Amino acid sequence: MKVSVRKGLRRDRSLYLMLFPVIVFYALFKYSPLFGEIIAFKNYRFVDGIVGSDWVGLNNFRMLFGSADFWRVLRNTLLLNVYSLAVGFPVPIVLALLLNEVRVEGYKRLVQNLLYVPHFISWVVLGGILIALLSPSTGVVNLVLTHVFGIEPIYFMAKSAWWPVAYTASSIWREAGWGTILYLAAMASIDPQLYEASRIDGAGKLRQIWHITLPGIRGTIAILLILRMGSMMDVGLEQTLALQNDSVLDVADVISTYVYRVGLQNMNYSYTTALGLFQSLIGLILVVGVNRIIRLFGERGLW
Amino acid sequence: MKQAGSRLSPRSFAGHALNYVFLGLLSLCTLYPFAYEISASFSSSRAITAGEVFVWPVEFNTEAYKRLFEDGQLIHAMGNTVFVTAVGTLLNMIMNVLAAYPLSRKRLIGRGPLLLFITFTMIFVSGIIPNFILIRSLGLMDSYWALWLPGLISTYNMFVMKSFMEGLPEEIEESASIDGAGNWRILGQIVLPLCKPILAALSLFYAVGWWNSYFNVMLYITSSDLHTLMLKLYQIIKQVDASLLDGGGGEGVSNSRLTPEGIKAASVVIAIAPILCVYPFLQKHFVKGVLIGSVKG
Repeated sequence: MKVSVRKGLRRDRSLYLMLFPVIVFYALFKYSPLFGEIIAFKNYRFVDGIVGSDWVGLNNFRMLFGSADFWRVLRNTLLLNVYSLAVGFPVPIVLALLLNEVRVEGYKRLVQNLLYVPHFISWVVLGGILIALLSPSTGVVNLVLTHVFGIEPIYFMAKSAWWPVAYTASSIWREAGWGTILYLAAMASIDPQLYEASRIDGAGKLRQIWHITLPGIRGTIAILLILRMGSMMDVGLEQTLALQNDSVLDVADVISTYVYRVGLQNMNYSYTTALGLFQSLIGLILVVGVNRIIRLFGERGLW
Repeated sequence: MKQAGSRLSPRSFAGHALNYVFLGLLSLCTLYPFAYEISASFSSSRAITAGEVFVWPVEFNTEAYKRLFEDGQLIHAMGNTVFVTAVGTLLNMIMNVLAAYPLSRKRLIGRGPLLLFITFTMIFVSGIIPNFILIRSLGLMDSYWALWLPGLISTYNMFVMKSFMEGLPEEIEESASIDGAGNWRILGQIVLPLCKPILAALSLFYAVGWWNSYFNVMLYITSSDLHTLMLKLYQIIKQVDASLLDGGGGEGVSNSRLTPEGIKAASVVIAIAPILCVYPFLQKHFVKGVLIGSVKG
């Protein structure tokens, strides 16, 4: 046995050589920042370094939980996620069901490819376009609202009541089409005989969708739901920064933008690292929890 | 299938027709904002602020593009983006192959622990502050290495490539190794040519990511000479959105310090044009990439 291990190591020397830069990469850029998270329990100062800074125990966490800012950004983060989960998650499923009914292959592919486009566009661009389209004075949306429906212009991006709507809509615009891919693939692998049999039994389209298509993609829905739940504590930083402005910070300030502003711009490193650590911890608990629930329902989880 | 179509009852025919029309309208709605920006970029600032632009350019002119090209900053930033994207993607692909190929060899001793070592970092992810401190301690501030190095490998993408390589027929490689070919030669002459579809898909994903990102540039690149297109665009948009938000129209827009609407629209068009131009030719690789990735997961 010993000989064969040594032989194996020697035979695959070149493979280990290939892996060398890879291991260095993971150690340096994935593991060492994890070690850096300990500054959440320290009073980090750049001159002292991570190791040299003073320990402060749970002070940063105490300060965090005692601040109104923390509860505000936590609430905003969760609310924006609840909106996009409640409204955004079913949209690709419905879209995929509709696309799946299209029998003209060319038309189907055309629609798919057009719906995928926004996924490849930067949030800066999408944010800029959205701000222009929703502008109360010159935006097309408000012009239509005023001239066709006679409604007063709505300040979508500047009013706290409307900003989450614009935010959620922007997420759907960018990701709903792209999100259909995995559902469509799952639908394509459903046995066509099931549809044939149900039609002979006189089942209509809706009953087929309910009894065949949806059960057929249940596993995919479960997996994507777990992944989505894992990011409940996360709000896309690039998206939020591009759409955010000072007049809506009471609803638009989320954990990541807060960490950026207060942590990096005002150099409160330890305090915001504590916030980041709290965020990761809850995220982890959510993934594990939802994975367990889904397995209780008899579906294959992530592990 | 043909017969199935002809047997449609009037009711289900109406349902199908409705579905086709709805999906068509939805595609138009998805793309309309881009069309609007293109039209706006060719319209006069007056027409845009007066709300006259809907579908076609009004008072057609190319003033905005002329100003942008004369000013040169945006074009320079685009050059930076091309450079960051090209080098970044190349580094990504080299590192991904170096990781995926050895890890796809099931006989590799220590493969299990190595996979665990890597998977661990997908579950436990560090926050932006520790990463920022690391980059600064390494002295990488204001250098593109601050962007490239931390982004060398996306673990998910690397695992996609690994599972693709695991799916290749083993016999070809076995016969090559009997012929005395080393791992490097097997990788270069047999495995990589078979991996073309996944190499294409992943390099596209990486390239789009580099092209579109701006936050890391904002964080790490301080000299404006090195700023990329998306960061410049971010600054342009943040500059004007004050005038769009107050809604007054008159005062804010005529303020000469602010970037006129047309300029903003033209900047947006310049930023998305490359993606829109290559998209029709490359979209099938993107979809394939997603599907290959999902088979394992």
